[in-house]
Amino acid sequence: MKVTVKVIGPLAYAAGFSEKDVAFPGTATAGELLARVNIASRPTIVTRNGKAVSPLDALAEGDRIVISPIYSGG
Amino acid sequence: MYGWTGRILRVDLTTRTHRAEPFSEEFAKTWVGGRGFAVKILFDELKPGIDPLGPENKLIVALGPISGIPAPTTGKAVVAAKSPLTGFYGDGNLGTRVTEQLRKAGYDALIVEGRAERPTLLYIEDDTVEFLPADEVWGQGTFATNDWIYAKYGKGVGVLNIGQGGENGVRYATIRSMEGRSGGRPGMGAVMGSKLLKAIVVKGTRPIPQANAAGMKAVGTADLKMVHQIDKDTGWSRQSTNGVLAWCNEVAGLPVQNFRKTSHTEAWKIDGQRLDEARVATYGCPTCTMRCGIAIHDKEGHESELDYENIGLLGANLNIFELDQVGSLNYLCDDYGLDTMSAGCTLSFYADAIAHGATTGDFTFGDAERAKELLGLAARREGPVGNLLADGTLRMARAFGHGAEQYAMQVKGLEVAAYNCKFIPGMALAFGVAAIGAHHREAWIITFELKNTTRDSYGPEKAAKVIELQRIRGGMFESIVSCRFPWIELGWSLDNYPKYFNLVTGLDWTLDDMWRLADRVYAMIKLHYLREFPNVTRQDDYPPAVWFDPENADTEGPIAHMHLEADKYDQLLQHYYDQRGYDRRGIPTRKLLETLGLSREADEAARYATLT
Repeated sequence: MKVTVKVIGPLAYAAGFSEKDVAFPGTATAGELLARVNIASRPTIVTRNGKAVSPLDALAEGDRIVISPIYSGG
Repeated sequence: MYGWTGRILRVDLTTRTHRAEPFSEEFAKTWVGGRGFAVKILFDELKPGIDPLGPENKLIVALGPISGIPAPTTGKAVVAAKSPLTGFYGDGNLGTRVTEQLRKAGYDALIVEGRAERPTLLYIEDDTVEFLPADEVWGQGTFATNDWIYAKYGKGVGVLNIGQGGENGVRYATIRSMEGRSGGRPGMGAVMGSKLLKAIVVKGTRPIPQANAAGMKAVGTADLKMVHQIDKDTGWSRQSTNGVLAWCNEVAGLPVQNFRKTSHTEAWKIDGQRLDEARVATYGCPTCTMRCGIAIHDKEGHESELDYENIGLLGANLNIFELDQVGSLNYLCDDYGLDTMSAGCTLSFYADAIAHGATTGDFTFGDAERAKELLGLAARREGPVGNLLADGTLRMARAFGHGAEQYAMQVKGLEVAAYNCKFIPGMALAFGVAAIGAHHREAWIITFELKNTTRDSYGPEKAAKVIELQRIRGGMFESIVSCRFPWIELGWSLDNYPKYFNLVTGLDWTLDDMWRLADRVYAMIKLHYLREFPNVTRQDDYPPAVWFDPENADTEGPIAHMHLEADKYDQLLQHYYDQRGYDRRGIPTRKLLETLGLSREADEAARYATLT
């Protein structure tokens, strides 16, 4: 399964990329994706196609996943 | 009394007189400072119905008990007056050395009254107040004016100044300081200009009275280092506030084309990463160790200091996706002394009105060069177009007619900040009930809405979150006075702020005391509104009508075919009123006012309008 991952703001420096495809051999959850891109320990909001998902939510082929810090609107 | 100097400096430009007025400990504890001082002083001293640009209006510069004390982000000052943009109480804050210098001169606030006979520089040094000619820089931009002041007094003084926008009564002219700092979105710069006051320069030499100066110094110094370290560890200031642009673009919350669209394929060209890459310098406010001002070279080669709001509204919202051109528009706003947010919305509205046939003109979305010319026309109030633009979005819409008010992106006359709430109901509420008009400063709940609730909910939890944030952001931070960024962006504990407050005042306040202060301040701003607009209705707390329009809904993306629903928004608004203790017009009830200790103020408001 392959998903497109975009990492927002300073998290991109921690992850080492701002956008790329990530492949898993089988199914994967949002939490497993966070661990894969090395930012599981940071407070984040993860969205799929504009809607928030929890770490336990399963990802699906072709999803666009956005991982962002918890912004607060300045 | 510790923490406060106990004095307010009152200056009359008409009579060229001044006096230091003591205030009581009760006044200090009831209103604390900053916004709290300003709402009370202006309520007591201004008659409703006065011309905001007449000599009867008063300009307030107000500080708080932790202002100027070395601790995280205590370098802010509140500027306030009756707003020429919205017609009632307006304010803003900005980082400035005036904060520390005015406190060291022995004052917690400055009240400027009357109107000078000629362009004036007000110079304050401890007990000395001088009214000096400023003809030499009248007509000059804020950068040249600042240079002129620094050449005369050195860079260590506190400076507030205005550009051509303030001189010419542009209704969203700001007050500027330290070359990159602006404050007073609802036209505080125009109020200053109407008094022919080009600049205020302050120098102070006295210690600020503190109950536990040694303790405060130890805590403040350590905390400044810790905030710096947290910022470094998280990397927040690499992109500063503009980190949020890419996220808004992904979740359909970015203002594009006068808020008609919520994302754009070229948004990456102006996002936080591109801003960081283009950085040529970094700036910040006094006593700040998480400096957020990222400067780039603009199209003409000037240094231009950018953040998300001005990139969102002078860039994406005008369909301009060249960062250097956005920098140019921002530089011009800073030099003219115009609010970048209202200027961006005003230009986008003008382009939209032309596109929809409400008026004629030669401005289209994406035309950065024409946008630069239009900013100049507005700042100089040159010609019919310049005069229209100088009056802001709502007045333009009313002048155009043809239903243009539907897509005038404002609430209570103040233009909307750079978050597109086509389908973000709680944030739309935050704009609707923001005390001074559609400002993001007081409550921003978009990540809360998406992460902790469902996006299509209009439930009471969203109203509760707006109130919680208003108490913190619009109440406590604006009154003590401090920047909210260490808390909101780095997770710096809120408990630190009563701690600082108690160290300098010797009091024993908790956060609950801060929330009570905040509720009092919010109630007072509502009384200002009621006194000016006695026929107030709940419709005044509605966001722009276009967000409710099905025909304006996105046709693709995460919120395709979604839009705000009026009946549900009204229920959400009622949740807010119920939780606040406000009546169905959104006005505090007499019972609430009495609970907040505002019986006298309630009686005064009741002379002009009905209280329930």
